[in-house]
Amino acid sequence: MMTSVLAAMVGTVAFSLLFGVPRKYYPYCGMIGGAGWLVYSLAVLRWAPEGAALLATIVVMLLSRAAAVWQRCPATIFLISGIFPLVPGAGIYWTSYYIVTDQLNLALHTGYEAVKTAVAIVLGIVFVFEIPQKVFRKLLGKR
Amino acid sequence: MNQSWEKEKQRENGAQVENVSPKKNRPKAGNMLWEENICQRETEEEDSREKEVLETALLAGHILLENGAEISRVEETFDRICRHYGVKSGSAFVLSNGIFITAGSELEGYFAKVQHIPVSGTHLNRVAAVNQLSREMEEGRYSIGQLKEALDSIKNMPEKRKAMKVLASGVGSAAFCHLFGGDGWDMAAALLAGLLLYGYILFVSGPYLSKIVGNIGGGALVTFVCGFCFLAGLGNHLNFMIIGSIMPLVPGVAFTNGIRDIADGDYISGAVRMLDAILVFFCIAIGVGMAISLLTGFTGGVPL
Repeated sequence: MMTSVLAAMVGTVAFSLLFGVPRKYYPYCGMIGGAGWLVYSLAVLRWAPEGAALLATIVVMLLSRAAAVWQRCPATIFLISGIFPLVPGAGIYWTSYYIVTDQLNLALHTGYEAVKTAVAIVLGIVFVFEIPQKVFRKLLGKR
Repeated sequence: MNQSWEKEKQRENGAQVENVSPKKNRPKAGNMLWEENICQRETEEEDSREKEVLETALLAGHILLENGAEISRVEETFDRICRHYGVKSGSAFVLSNGIFITAGSELEGYFAKVQHIPVSGTHLNRVAAVNQLSREMEEGRYSIGQLKEALDSIKNMPEKRKAMKVLASGVGSAAFCHLFGGDGWDMAAALLAGLLLYGYILFVSGPYLSKIVGNIGGGALVTFVCGFCFLAGLGNHLNFMIIGSIMPLVPGVAFTNGIRDIADGDYISGAVRMLDAILVFFCIAIGVGMAISLLTGFTGGVPL
């Protein structure tokens, strides 16, 4: 599992380069992506994938906002690349694979799973987004 | 800088008083023409200054919107710049691909501008730079001219080199391939597919193709590259190879920003961005599916 967390970190940093994140924020992006995947892979042992994705998204979002307050820059910078390991890329693949191989039941199942994961990510982002900026400032001791 | 700002403010207040009650301290007949001239010249100066402030605020909004910021950030930055330089009536309506601004009241000149901002690549470094700039502006470190210069230099900030981007896409694909369960050989194939995919994005799909065709083509390209690698013996799990290397196509920015816009209540822009994300998701799936069914033809009907 440690190697997959490492892979999440490397992947997140590589993608933040694609989005033009300034170089000094790469370590933060990597940490946040790695932390998100770590939480996901621990949570998925206990809960359904959607629940794990929700929890991991909440962690990614909390860390992104904390880093944004800490570094005084938009949270988007950390969020966009940090969320990537959780995006249901595998769901897209399996859905289209099952559709073209005529396994419609499985296609429906995986497509539904992918949509559920996407909704979980949406909810995670929206929930944490509602926490006022003041809370993060106070917690980190920044004015 | 602060002093000159104070002076300007005083001058502005003076001009306002003259504007509001030009008749109250009406001078003698001989002086009147001269006084009116002064008055007019001052309002003209005011107008051009207001115009400069609004243009600068619009430029800031343009840079933010073009490079992947949320709608609320664009509006907030516009308002902040207007307020900081004393234009009270400035107001902006921002959509995901355009900005409409107007200003004007009894005291301030009328000004309106619409700017179409086509969706282009994401450069979060520019968003961060404008954010930093507006923070420094609030501390009073910039005159309006300096702010405009700083924004111009942000607009021309260099992009990452293309070779770097291609390499990052390859490494990212390999990393995500491992994340979903691929082994070393799968990662090598995903690396190759990721490199080729970004070359395709930069030189074919970006400049020449529409979003729909571009993403279908991208999904198909990745699947073909991985499929041929698999058939040639490189890589053991075709599915993990493909999943890893379609990641650079996944519309993470549109998806995330769409959610945030909807959460902010910017439903129009949020819906447009979500639609964009969903469309791209579908197109990738279609491309992958088409390529898989073509590939099964090569293997004589044996599913991969």
